[in-house]
Amino acid sequence: MTATIDSDAPETRAPSATVAVLKRAGVVGALVAVAIAVALIQSGSGIVVWQSVVTGLLTGGLYGLIAMGLTLIFGVLDIVNFAHGAMLAVAMFLSFGVVAVTGLHPYLTMLVTVPALFLVGALVHRGLLSGAGGATLENQLLITLGLSLLLENGLLLFLGAEPKNVTLPGETHLDVFGAVVSGSRLYAFLGAVALGLVLYWMLQHTRLGTAIRAVASNSPGAELVGINVRRIHTLTFAIGAACAGAAAALAVPLLSVTPTLGEQFNITAFVVVVLGGMGNVVGALVGGLLIGLVEQLTTIYLDGQSSLLGVFVVFVLVLFLRPQGLFGRRT
Amino acid sequence: MIVRRLIAVLGAGSLLATAGCGGSAPSGAAGDAAGSGDGPVRIGALHPVSGSMAVDGLQMRRGAQLAVEQINDSGGIASLGGREVRLATADTQGKPEIGQSEAQRLISDGAVGLIGTYQSSVSSNVAVVAERNEVPFVMDVTASDEIFQHGYRYSFRVQPGSAKISESAAEYLEQVSEQAGKPAERVAVLHEHTDFGTGAADAFETAAEKLGMEVGPRISYDATTASDFTSQITQVKASGADVLVVAGYYGDSLLIAQAVDAVKPDLDAVWGVSNGAYDQPKFVSDAGELGDRYFSTNYHFDAQNPETRRLREEYRQRFGAPMRTGAVLSYDAVQAIAAGVEEAGSTDPAAVRNGIARAEIDPLTVGDGPVRFGPDGENVNSAAVLMQIQNGRVKQVYPPEKAESDPDYSVAW
Repeated sequence: MTATIDSDAPETRAPSATVAVLKRAGVVGALVAVAIAVALIQSGSGIVVWQSVVTGLLTGGLYGLIAMGLTLIFGVLDIVNFAHGAMLAVAMFLSFGVVAVTGLHPYLTMLVTVPALFLVGALVHRGLLSGAGGATLENQLLITLGLSLLLENGLLLFLGAEPKNVTLPGETHLDVFGAVVSGSRLYAFLGAVALGLVLYWMLQHTRLGTAIRAVASNSPGAELVGINVRRIHTLTFAIGAACAGAAAALAVPLLSVTPTLGEQFNITAFVVVVLGGMGNVVGALVGGLLIGLVEQLTTIYLDGQSSLLGVFVVFVLVLFLRPQGLFGRRT
Repeated sequence: MIVRRLIAVLGAGSLLATAGCGGSAPSGAAGDAAGSGDGPVRIGALHPVSGSMAVDGLQMRRGAQLAVEQINDSGGIASLGGREVRLATADTQGKPEIGQSEAQRLISDGAVGLIGTYQSSVSSNVAVVAERNEVPFVMDVTASDEIFQHGYRYSFRVQPGSAKISESAAEYLEQVSEQAGKPAERVAVLHEHTDFGTGAADAFETAAEKLGMEVGPRISYDATTASDFTSQITQVKASGADVLVVAGYYGDSLLIAQAVDAVKPDLDAVWGVSNGAYDQPKFVSDAGELGDRYFSTNYHFDAQNPETRRLREEYRQRFGAPMRTGAVLSYDAVQAIAAGVEEAGSTDPAAVRNGIARAEIDPLTVGDGPVRFGPDGENVNSAAVLMQIQNGRVKQVYPPEKAESDPDYSVAW
């Protein structure tokens, strides 16, 4: 049941592939259970570990949300979009601006940020990446890195470094078996799951999705059967950027909006993408949840040393044991 | 395959990102030319006016500018026949290597002294350049104490060091909680994990234990990646601590306040130490109700000093924003260099250094007396003050001689 857009598995092989994925999910689940048990022994307080697990999953949903657009672009276009974090920052400022000017509910700003980022994505791909200049890997790298610097410093120049905050109207705190969950984090988590499902459905069951998967798996072949590959590339890049737009609207009540906020997520998002399998949207969500958990549990194991340490240990292990990612397939 | 490609790209990306910051060879020329000529006396100001610290950097540059204007308006440097002072500014971009090359540039352009830099990491590098060129460097905001352990002759600092603030924080906590009839016994510490937060937490722990308080749990975090503190605050709640000490920057301290509001641990007080948020008017407006009654021990502009009020009023009128403590410290730092020039009667940087070491300046920040530098370059009269958010305003509450109102040792939830 993976949504790997790279997959070239014919229908007949699907059942065995499903079994393999389920097996891996089982192994990962067992490892997580062991990790939680160890954390429980380490801290000796059930409520602390339970809160960490809940927080980890909720934060992980946010990571998955941000990584989804990235993985889509990488899976189809083979472009490592360094500007994803900066685009997220742009979308956040847009969301903040709309809330500040119109007083709209933060989540409704999605109506603005998603189309706006879709447009930005399309323009960036058409204008900067799809031409001869964006043909080689190094150029793509330089272009997206340059774009991220441009966007971040542009925001800094025109809007200033002062952090801006959006509060969710009617923010509540829920009690989940003793753990505290703030409403805004829960909604962002649910939004991440919903977005993952929508993308999955779109890729599996629409003509556009089929075309995207066809281009991802074999673009000359797709061209031969009459798919406009360049158009699909632009659309995919735009959809990936639009995901950042959706993520921004969902996450804006959770974070201080600053021009450099993308940096905070760029590295984690790349780790999530690799962990979940490149181009695998549902994998990105699961990878995000895992990374969120690992971060929180590392805090317990190491008494609050940098939580990135645990993240990178897991990252290296996964690269070593399963370089195609937990839910990706060998290419 | 595809993974290898991603790794290659990521590796190349990080290489590129770091390569962009290198290559800052010092030009070698010392500030010998500084003393010559009859032009204005140049004071170099190094602050991060671009990058993520730009708001504070710009504030501080403007604070320094106001000091220069004040000096010129009152007749310039009298011992040099009323020569004017001019501020030569530089942008450190918040990066140590840029700060270093910019310091070299300012010295080569004839600066008699430098002020800066808001960040300990940048100040460390600038202090080395100043020492090598024998040009005095008066730090306005620089928390780290490490710079003053090398025996540098040309480094001075106006603000109290990290250890001094933390020790005061522990003392004030003991005294204020005692007065309120709820003596602090068990103190949880939450700190960001670089030199700044760890140094503050270490010093606080030592001082608090000496005063008979128990410190624990001690939880560190990475301020650049943390986005939720619910687990950490749950840990604090489970530990049964009665005070929560927070040593962090702005964004993370705000997130901590939100987590405290969500978890509602059983505390008597939240106690900021060198905290980047809990004494900022911006925190009051961002956090609203949930920041009410937060304490913070830090350096601060002297709200009781009429001269400070006049300066802050002028700043607000000219730049449309409240003047922060950092900017007032920059003002004091420029005054210190000007007093050094006045004292030396010369623009030779080495003479100015000796002048600064002899000078006394009335500060606009809270202190135990005039700014006077000890043999180690530290301001012997620097002092930290306890502030609390009361009715939506940051007020000085302790020690009593600096207090605008009485401390309210309680929490809002």
